[in-house]
Amino acid sequence: MWWKTLSVVLILYSLCTGLLVPLKSGIERAEPAYARSGQDVNIRFYGYNTFFAKPSGEAVRVWLYADEAHALAARQFRAINDTILEAVFSMPVNLPDGKQTVYLNAIIDHPAAGASLLPSAVELRQDTGTVAAALDSAWTAHPVENLHVQSGFSFPYQNVIYESIRNTYFHVPMWFVLLFLFGASVVYSVKYLRNPVPENDRRASAYAETGLLFGVLGLLTGMVWAKYTWGQPWSNDIKQLMTAVALLIYLAYFILRRSFEEYEKGARLAAVYNIFAFASLVPLLYIVPRMFASLHPGATGNPAFGSQDLDNTMRAVFYPAIIGWTLLGFWVAHLRIRYQRLYDRVMDIEG
Amino acid sequence: MNWKSLIPLLHKEFLLEFRQRYAISGIVLYVFSMVFVVYIASIRVTPPVWNVLFWLIVLFASINAVVKSFVQESGARQLYYYQLADPVALLLAKIIYNALLLFVLSALAFAAYSLVAGNPVKDPALFALVLVLGSLGFSIAFTFIASIAAKANNSATLMAILSFPVILPILLTLVRLSSIALRLIQDTSYTRDILNLLAIDAILITLTFVLFPYIWKD
Repeated sequence: MWWKTLSVVLILYSLCTGLLVPLKSGIERAEPAYARSGQDVNIRFYGYNTFFAKPSGEAVRVWLYADEAHALAARQFRAINDTILEAVFSMPVNLPDGKQTVYLNAIIDHPAAGASLLPSAVELRQDTGTVAAALDSAWTAHPVENLHVQSGFSFPYQNVIYESIRNTYFHVPMWFVLLFLFGASVVYSVKYLRNPVPENDRRASAYAETGLLFGVLGLLTGMVWAKYTWGQPWSNDIKQLMTAVALLIYLAYFILRRSFEEYEKGARLAAVYNIFAFASLVPLLYIVPRMFASLHPGATGNPAFGSQDLDNTMRAVFYPAIIGWTLLGFWVAHLRIRYQRLYDRVMDIEG
Repeated sequence: MNWKSLIPLLHKEFLLEFRQRYAISGIVLYVFSMVFVVYIASIRVTPPVWNVLFWLIVLFASINAVVKSFVQESGARQLYYYQLADPVALLLAKIIYNALLLFVLSALAFAAYSLVAGNPVKDPALFALVLVLGSLGFSIAFTFIASIAAKANNSATLMAILSFPVILPILLTLVRLSSIALRLIQDTSYTRDILNLLAIDAILITLTFVLFPYIWKD
């Protein structure tokens, strides 16, 4: 059927583009990461996926950026190789707004690779004690403007997660599929209570089984990400714990289904428990994790993925991935339902 | 729903408990045994450990107290009750009765526990409120699960595996509120947690009313 083909096409598309498209240029770190006012500082920028040494039509430009009105341009710089750039800055005596310390963001603009930014790259301290009357004109002489945007298809560069940003197309869709499948399971449980025919029960249990499978896949892909960014695959984060508990609920559902001799009684009570369990899934996955400290995006004030982290190129892969995996989930459940239908026919269960 | 039958049904629960005193005595003894096991297993109980162990004692005592709700009377007699009164009123009577029972039990557990392991509670009013809310939440969730589990043969095992995941949001909120009462964490804005707890209770009791008619019919 057309939707099965669509699911294969979309998943292949998200696999290929998700794994092959390069990341944008970025700055990993700046050394030294501190400077004192009134001195000349030699700062090395270490880039990621950058082409500092590649000649291009226009010049590369380097800034240290304090705020919208104040930025320092590099006095001179040279590319040591494609990923290391050495720049000399003359730090002014005064800091903007008479501050003692200011954190400067590094901006490197490359005509072909576009502009890349490292937040709080250099800490600049005013500790000479001598304060000049007026602010140094170096702060405003070279404003940050005419930045280049990288043309072509590429994913955003983000510190800490680097290439693992590609996991967005595999980890996040698992939870979408899980919710859709568990939702479908509840719908068929309600249908079974209103109209107790075995077909409704078969569907409810098949959707729950497939949902459980995707829950395990979501935990595993999450562990890959946790290993990379948090240091270990299982760090007892509240989000991981609550997800594991949510999967326990559905394991209990399968135990309950099989602990009755009469088929009809087991199916009915399991349907009741399924509705009850789905209602407690909401506090488990969405209310409790917000009460405790968590490293997971979307918990305790951490930004959830999707607001500023997801740019248009990512959306072009992320949304097809969700649709593709959802269709695959329903396909798997569909096969499970057909298998169960045949099994029940052999075992002489009507419907 | 026929609310008039609620009072006689509640009266029946009390009468039943009074006539079968060995059951309630068993639960009380269970609480005391558990308190002493906990005390002997860990002689020095720091306030954070006190908090967690206390709620574990209350959790297990509650499960054992509630699991008997639907198995202490024969199926035939329960069917008779369902004909006499509204099944939902019967369930509500059991929930109210169990909430009272669990409150008494957790107060007893608190008394025995603070006798042997000390009393680190700094805000008794909040702690009492937490006990009331805890008894209510445990009663709603456990009574409903007990009505499902009672239909199977291995009801004690089923009771544990069905109710632990469902009770977890309530339990975590209770532990958090009671650590505020013990001044383990400084948090003055705990009203939100209380509202969370009441919201979960409201969801569970609504579902209980909607779903119970599908459980009792055999």
